[in-house]
Amino acid sequence: MTAAPILEVEGLAVAYGAAFAVRDLSFSVPEGGIVALVGSNGAGKTTTVQAIAGAMRPRAGRVRLAGAEVAGADCAEMVRRGVTLVPEGRLVFPQMTVDENLRMGGLNARAAPNVTRNLARVFELFPRLAERRNQLGGSMSGGEQQMLAIARGLMAEPRLMILDEPSLGLMPKLVGELFGLIQRLNGEGITILLVEQNVRQTLQIADRAYVLEKGRVVLSGAGSDLLDDPFVRKAFLGH
Amino acid sequence: MLQTIVNGLLYGGTLSVAAVGFSLIFGVMNVINLAHGVFVVGGAYAALALWTGLRLDPILALVPIMAGGFVVGAAYQRFVIGPAVRRGSPVAALLVTFGLSLVVVNGLTIVYSSAVRNVSPAYAFFSVRIGDVTIDAVRAIAFVTALVLIAALALFLRTTVWGRMIRATAQSELAARLCGVDARRVYALTFGVGSAFAAGSGVLIGMIMPFTPAEEVQWTVYAFVVVVLGGVGSPAGAMLGGLLLGLAATLTQTYVGPVYTNVVMFMILLAMLLVRPNGILGSAFRASR
Repeated sequence: MTAAPILEVEGLAVAYGAAFAVRDLSFSVPEGGIVALVGSNGAGKTTTVQAIAGAMRPRAGRVRLAGAEVAGADCAEMVRRGVTLVPEGRLVFPQMTVDENLRMGGLNARAAPNVTRNLARVFELFPRLAERRNQLGGSMSGGEQQMLAIARGLMAEPRLMILDEPSLGLMPKLVGELFGLIQRLNGEGITILLVEQNVRQTLQIADRAYVLEKGRVVLSGAGSDLLDDPFVRKAFLGH
Repeated sequence: MLQTIVNGLLYGGTLSVAAVGFSLIFGVMNVINLAHGVFVVGGAYAALALWTGLRLDPILALVPIMAGGFVVGAAYQRFVIGPAVRRGSPVAALLVTFGLSLVVVNGLTIVYSSAVRNVSPAYAFFSVRIGDVTIDAVRAIAFVTALVLIAALALFLRTTVWGRMIRATAQSELAARLCGVDARRVYALTFGVGSAFAAGSGVLIGMIMPFTPAEEVQWTVYAFVVVVLGGVGSPAGAMLGGLLLGLAATLTQTYVGPVYTNVVMFMILLAMLLVRPNGILGSAFRASR
């Protein structure tokens, strides 16, 4: 955990109209690490990552990416700077083929020249997608759509990949595969910020985790330490 | 009977072009553009001006008129619709489109009066006989042009990067933005393309039938019916809806009486919404994009 932070969030506040979903939230993500945000429904996890990715404008606070202030930058700029959010609910383009979905992921100016190389890379990582290259995104199973959403994110050549609830709705066998994949991508040098409800498996692979409640960090620590924390055990692990 | 069917299909091709832009705009932005008919009528008057002023053939005039429609439509989205949606709601945008159409129609009436006009190029009075069926040259030319325009739009949406960005934004705006798409530029582009096709259809309409400024209401309603028939957002759906509506309108005119055309159209609209609200192709309003 001595690596310099790639992402630092300080005093972040995000609101829908007058209702603040996130207030005074601070955390950081070290370069090359896996950091998790956990917490119950409505704790503000999705809002937080959408604000970081530029999909929502923060009301207050600082977001620094590799030292540069980026709070309030739009999605296009964040993607160009190397931050890619794989959104909750996958949001693949249902009426586009797998191939077209992937090409959408590689639109940004940095990744666009390397589309052919990146396509080969994701097809090697997900042979299943190569088989279904010309099938419509909406016609695939939930697990395949999740793979497609992650592969589309990889096409953008992210330095920091944010995964929002990637295990939601997957069957247990696939959940195991998914966490293996996240570790593999991390091993290839992509920093991971993971939002999850699957707390046990998440804490097992996270270098560091933050527990959110009502838009604030209430607890943080190394993933393995939090697994033994009495509050976490009671609130999320059911004993 | 055969003659009526042929006339209906030829007319339907033009209806398809008139509706496809409306369909695209609604599919991508969820904005019901009540000013759509204004762009159609505006295209017809532009063709008239270029024909009487410069003797420019309407088919050649399509190029500058569609380009003009694109620029005006894109600017209209950027400076009028966009702010209305951001500050108010889709309903506010609806009212703005309605208000603007009133202004333009009255402007056209002041300049051109409410008299019935038409554009008659040299070949306007030629026709070909095949068996019992007479085909007017203008109608055939308008129909072929309509097919070419719809095919070009389908190709643009399917094969170009910008087309892919428009479709992606329609299917999931958030996902498209997360891919780095600038949604505001896509909106302006979509409105531009939709308006260009509306103006283009106006040129074709000007060639095959007389027109007045007040007819813009009718063209907006027809576009709406075509979209309900064919489904939102796809050029193929607009083509199908247009041809069917053309047939229905022409058959009604011939066998029931011209005054009943609108009655039949609204009955079709009602019946479709009751029986098959997703359009004939079965493409649901949302999923069809």
